Amino acid sequence: MNNSINLSIDGKKVNAVKGMNLIDVAKDNGIEIPTLCYFKKLNPLATCRICTVSVNGRNTTGCTVKVEDNMVVNVHTPELTANRKAIIEMLYAEGNHFCPSCEKSGNCEMQNWGYRMGVTNTRYPHVFRNKKVDFTPHRMIMESNRCILCKRCVEEIKTHDGKNVFAFVKRGKNTLVQIDYKEERKLNENEALHAMNICPVGAILVKGIADNKPFGERKYDFLNQQVKTSLKNKKIALPKGEKFVVATTSLAGCFGCHMSLLDIDTELLDMLEIVEFNKSPLTDIKKFSKQCHIGLIEGGCANNENVHILREFRKKCDILISFGECAVMGGIPAMRNFVPLQECLEEAYLNGLTSELGADIIPAHKDIPKLLNKVYPCNEVVEIDYYIPGCPPNAQHIWKVVKSILLGKEIPIAHEEFKYD
Amino acid sequence: MAQKIVIDPVTRVEGHGKVTIQLDENNRVSDAKFHIVEFRGFERFIQGHPYWEAPVMVQRLCGICPVSHHLAAAKAIDQIVGINPEDLSIPAQKIRKLLHFGQVFQSHALHFFYLASPDLLFGAESDPLKRNVVGVAMAFPELAKKGILMRKFGQEIIKLTAGKRIHGIATTPGGVHKNIQAKEREYFLDGKEIPNIHTMIEWSLEIIEFIKQYHLDHKDFLDSFAAYPSGHLGLVNKENGFLELYDGNLRAIDAEGNITLNDIPCDDYNEYFYENVKKWTYLKFPYLKHLGREKGWNRVGPLARLNVCEGIETPYAHQEWLDFRAATNHKTNNRTMHTHWARLIEILYCAEMIKSLLEDDDLLSTDLVRKGNRRKEGIGIIEAPRGTLIHHYEVDNQDRITRCNLIVSTTHNNEPMNHAVKWVADHVLDGKTKITEGMKNQVEVAIRAYDPCLSCATHAMGQMPLNIQLRDYKGQLIDEHISS
Repeated sequence: MNNSINLSIDGKKVNAVKGMNLIDVAKDNGIEIPTLCYFKKLNPLATCRICTVSVNGRNTTGCTVKVEDNMVVNVHTPELTANRKAIIEMLYAEGNHFCPSCEKSGNCEMQNWGYRMGVTNTRYPHVFRNKKVDFTPHRMIMESNRCILCKRCVEEIKTHDGKNVFAFVKRGKNTLVQIDYKEERKLNENEALHAMNICPVGAILVKGIADNKPFGERKYDFLNQQVKTSLKNKKIALPKGEKFVVATTSLAGCFGCHMSLLDIDTELLDMLEIVEFNKSPLTDIKKFSKQCHIGLIEGGCANNENVHILREFRKKCDILISFGECAVMGGIPAMRNFVPLQECLEEAYLNGLTSELGADIIPAHKDIPKLLNKVYPCNEVVEIDYYIPGCPPNAQHIWKVVKSILLGKEIPIAHEEFKYD
Repeated sequence: MAQKIVIDPVTRVEGHGKVTIQLDENNRVSDAKFHIVEFRGFERFIQGHPYWEAPVMVQRLCGICPVSHHLAAAKAIDQIVGINPEDLSIPAQKIRKLLHFGQVFQSHALHFFYLASPDLLFGAESDPLKRNVVGVAMAFPELAKKGILMRKFGQEIIKLTAGKRIHGIATTPGGVHKNIQAKEREYFLDGKEIPNIHTMIEWSLEIIEFIKQYHLDHKDFLDSFAAYPSGHLGLVNKENGFLELYDGNLRAIDAEGNITLNDIPCDDYNEYFYENVKKWTYLKFPYLKHLGREKGWNRVGPLARLNVCEGIETPYAHQEWLDFRAATNHKTNNRTMHTHWARLIEILYCAEMIKSLLEDDDLLSTDLVRKGNRRKEGIGIIEAPRGTLIHHYEVDNQDRITRCNLIVSTTHNNEPMNHAVKWVADHVLDGKTKITEGMKNQVEVAIRAYDPCLSCATHAMGQMPLNIQLRDYKGQLIDEHISS
């Protein structure tokens, strides 16, 4: 019997063998359905859900679809694209996906889809849940804060004598991947590396493997694609002879984003013909002297002073942009969200290796701000209009977004300029 | 009448700082404090992370000098994998040094041209709306352009070795990540796309001429403003006591030049330092144990380094160092404003060192990583642009960091900066009934000479607004300038 069938994917007529997996058929025909848990060798896991497509009018996971004659498949509709983006954002909010120090950065499938979908931030409140990081296994580390529970490792990794190494334990939102220590010892170095490589994120690490390829040589560093800013503000009316007014601040930030701002080097002199800086660490204008068109915020909120300044920026700037990992996601300062504040203070001021004998003072004074018990990304405190991710964001990326907004014209950002690390 | 003067934030510095100055009922200064208002908790939250993540994470302490932290942490992590600084392969040492000189070059250029020059070029009391890098670019476009291109050169050196200008990755435990390709270094030598290293040396010499002339034209100001006696701390070369930025021994001297810390090996630092804590600032106060809290504090940074060293190994910078020493008759230099001059001599030294490294074929080698026997503890000490930087980690046998101690450069300058603030308060604001913006900026000028990196110093992320508050003798707030 003839197994050849015809179907349509995004309006394109496609020929395939009946019963083939839809993901593979689409890929063979130049249409890439986003996937995270899909792994060709295995039966479909359908855990990640970003392959959701519309088949004959009904939404379903693409990876569980075996193609049939006359199927009508839609992949890139606005609604489906938006849903996929939301899932990626949920994954980012749910775990501790700090790209800058992750060993998998640049080779991470979740990060790659974030880039390809133009995800700049997560609209969901960051959970900051503290899951176990298991260092006990012989060769591997299980970083549960990065695990997206795709189940690839559970299904795929076996010892030479056919035993499972990874397993789901517990239930619901407490589900974790647990490594069987006895079985894990049987894995050799290559098998351990295989586990690390099939993980779509940086949850499985092999001990001592600190190396990643240099920037620019990693798997997903270059892609012939561009990202758009998606302008949503009205065109800015500027009276003749006046310049756009930009204010900047660094809240709980390291100043790296401001340094990146300066990294357009001599182009800065050109920008200064249309832009003037108002309140900013780079000027001596310590109080806003006028309403500003744009406020650039680096750093999240770590103390009450940061919150106060951020709220003032919201009032005094028509458009607020969070730039940098800290402002967008909390960043490095938010690492202290996993530790009680009291412990952080004690370690710094009482129990340090160079603390004085009998040290008993922790700073607290009316002239210094009070620390919040958590560090917050800016958009959890005030409404933010645009986001520029990166640690620090690429200089071209920053200025392309700023120029797009000021001039009312989209300037596309190249994939290699759009990075989270 | 009594008042409280507040400067908040201190601008044109990295990080947040706040100054409060108390005047009594006769307008006499009764107190002056420099508060650092940021805290992050690095020493705690890095615990539990695998040790190889340290250099990548800790560099996020600062966006101006991430490389300093990256390298200091890398030196400490090298020891964890059993490699001392001298055990690294020669190519790895040279690549790391190239990175370090590149970053000191750019950081000093940034500070001088973008942050400090407005005060020197326009005057401390000039119009605040113009007194910034934009004003300098408008009024002195050629100078501004050179400053921008010098910073760019340093940033590109960093990008060459670390993959990114800011927060790159250059090191791996026991070595470096990648070597340099022959065509990559041409970029810095042929002068086609960017001015080449010879131009950088030329411009470094020019800017030193500028500061020497400036010194002659403003001698009283530069010699006396915020000048006061202090100790000085820095690394020196293990063989000859010369200026050393990457790996050396710890040397400290007192204000008259007597040795107070005699070329101590870095691994022993813990025996010599304590950090004092005060309630009114998140920044700690390091001091030498054997001298005590009152006398044991030291300046760090370019002025301190040029004070403790016995010379500079590159010819042009050595000559400039001799001229610099001549200005104080070869005695210890305690003149705070001379730090700018010292900083420019270091820019020249870095440029000369970069040149000889770029011409060295060892950079092309593939012998990049060494392995040793695992240890529990690692210490990495380096001279960051702003001063001596100490990283110390303890790691358990499951590869987790269990303890971390950071004494960051600007922390040593905490006490010195408080002295500087007090000096300006006593000499400029004392007895005055009206406090002008220009007077308050003078307080900041004194602070800026230290090129403070306040985020680094408090291992805190965030900015400290600089508040100057004026309080009366009862401690009541009279006047406050809060910039936020």
